[in-house]
Amino acid sequence: MAADAAAAGPRRWRCEEEEQQPHRLSAAAAADDRFDGLPDPLLLLIFNRIGDVKALGRCALVSRRFRALVPLVDSVLVRVDCVIPDDPASSGSPSSSAPSFPTATASARARGVFSQIARMLIGGIVKPIQALGQILSHAGSASASLSSFRRSASSSLSSSSASAPPGDVSHHSPSEVLRSFKELRVSLRIELPAGELGMDDGVLLKWKADFGSTLGSCVILGAASASATKDGTTAAPPPAAADCAESDDSGSIPESFYTNGGLKLRVLWTISSLIAASARHYLLQPIIADHALLESLDLTDADGQGVLTMDKWQLQELRVRPVSASGDSHRTLMPALSMRLWYAPHIELPGGTVLNGATLVAIKPSEEAMMDAVGNATAGSAGGSWVSDAFEEPYRTAVGVLLKRRMYSLEMNSF
Amino acid sequence: MATREAGKKMIMLKSPDGMEFEVEEAVAMESQTIRKMIEDDCADTAILIPNINSKILSRVIEYCNKHVPTTGATGAAASDTVAPAALAEDLKIWDAEFIKVNRATRFDLIQAASYLNIKGLLDLTSQTTIDTISDNSLEEIRSFLSTKNDYLPEEEQTIRRENQWAFQ
Repeated sequence: MAADAAAAGPRRWRCEEEEQQPHRLSAAAAADDRFDGLPDPLLLLIFNRIGDVKALGRCALVSRRFRALVPLVDSVLVRVDCVIPDDPASSGSPSSSAPSFPTATASARARGVFSQIARMLIGGIVKPIQALGQILSHAGSASASLSSFRRSASSSLSSSSASAPPGDVSHHSPSEVLRSFKELRVSLRIELPAGELGMDDGVLLKWKADFGSTLGSCVILGAASASATKDGTTAAPPPAAADCAESDDSGSIPESFYTNGGLKLRVLWTISSLIAASARHYLLQPIIADHALLESLDLTDADGQGVLTMDKWQLQELRVRPVSASGDSHRTLMPALSMRLWYAPHIELPGGTVLNGATLVAIKPSEEAMMDAVGNATAGSAGGSWVSDAFEEPYRTAVGVLLKRRMYSLEMNSF
Repeated sequence: MATREAGKKMIMLKSPDGMEFEVEEAVAMESQTIRKMIEDDCADTAILIPNINSKILSRVIEYCNKHVPTTGATGAAASDTVAPAALAEDLKIWDAEFIKVNRATRFDLIQAASYLNIKGLLDLTSQTTIDTISDNSLEEIRSFLSTKNDYLPEEEQTIRRENQWAFQ
């Protein structure tokens, strides 16, 4: 080690010279040092393909050249690896976040579930961000606390193997991790370890929402059960699923749907998805503020449950027009919504999956939906490509099938 | 190699070390860079490919030859009888065999694929490097890329601390 340190002195000087004449050097080095011989744009191209922020963070330690290049990547994926349960006492009162939905019973049942979902999610990412905020705000008044934080961090680093209990692993917020990527230009994707909505076995729920300052649109695909049939064996419509008892070909929802809880369940899915989406959106604000050049932002989860997207213009909109929170909860206020719902008792997908009680919900803010309706009153299927292209195969097929069926309209108040 | 049918336009590609390769236009157009030259009418009878020696260029052409029928329209006739899935499988095996080259050649191929803008070849050649960087320790990355650590020990410590999140 000592010899290394001594040898590093002259090496450092040589490096500084190199920086002034990078081209000549890389050409000279090419003979025996292939990778260093790759031009920067090509090395960057490989970095762009890596995506994963941790791999990039490690890359910076390979050499000075790598460290200089890593912040220039145009696409980063952040995998959030742990979700910290929030302290129940600190969460907002559930009633403030409860949606005012016309059906009283559904609303009452929803409330308990939703406050829990919101808490889970907010606990997931906001908590580390808050912790970071606390450290920073303490820094000014009590410098002692900051230095003690530093010390503990470095000591835990040096003795990482031994004493540190598992709970001592420091948590890093996405904003913190992304600090080295201030100039990130093109795309950022953040992936949660799991979808925030706990679903019973076999239940399918997927949502995709886009946001500017508030919701732009949301598409939800749900099914009471999604089961795989052995390759292509055409199963008879299973009698088990209660809400697909009488399948008529008119595309209408069967009468039983209203009485056996089928509709109520769909409403629950819809509101859950919207709450999850608006909570995710709320969390993104500091990250968007930190990355002024960002052109596309996705917040996904490893389960493939929900996808939140923001494009260049939507990110711009949010920077100009700040988010309004819903009451005192940690989520973005939903505007009054106009929803369209399609239902099919039984859909067989390519690849063999069968969806029972499949439901598609397409949501836009009421204002916008009104303008759309005036704008293209002739368009038969109310869903544009934002609905039909929302999901990848095989779910895209399911959406296509559902869109051909009868459409139901619902309105929902702002919540 | 089968005799060329009449009507198929041929393009001459020249490497800087003086070798010439006659290829079908469709094959050459697997490279977006060459496609652009042809479409912009910058290509007369021969195109000089700078920076890519004949050994690498011949391998690139080999790749394009193999991959042209599935993506291009001109060579489609031969593959019509084979099911698309089987063809894709065959191509995958061929690719795996193609990429069994030493490291220097692979980096040359990455460079060539990037310059010639051949997406499939770039994906194929850079995947191993991406995997290595993503899944290995610093020392392993350095040794794979034959890159020297030019940090001072204390500098490395500082950056390691800043990027602590990357090592958990």
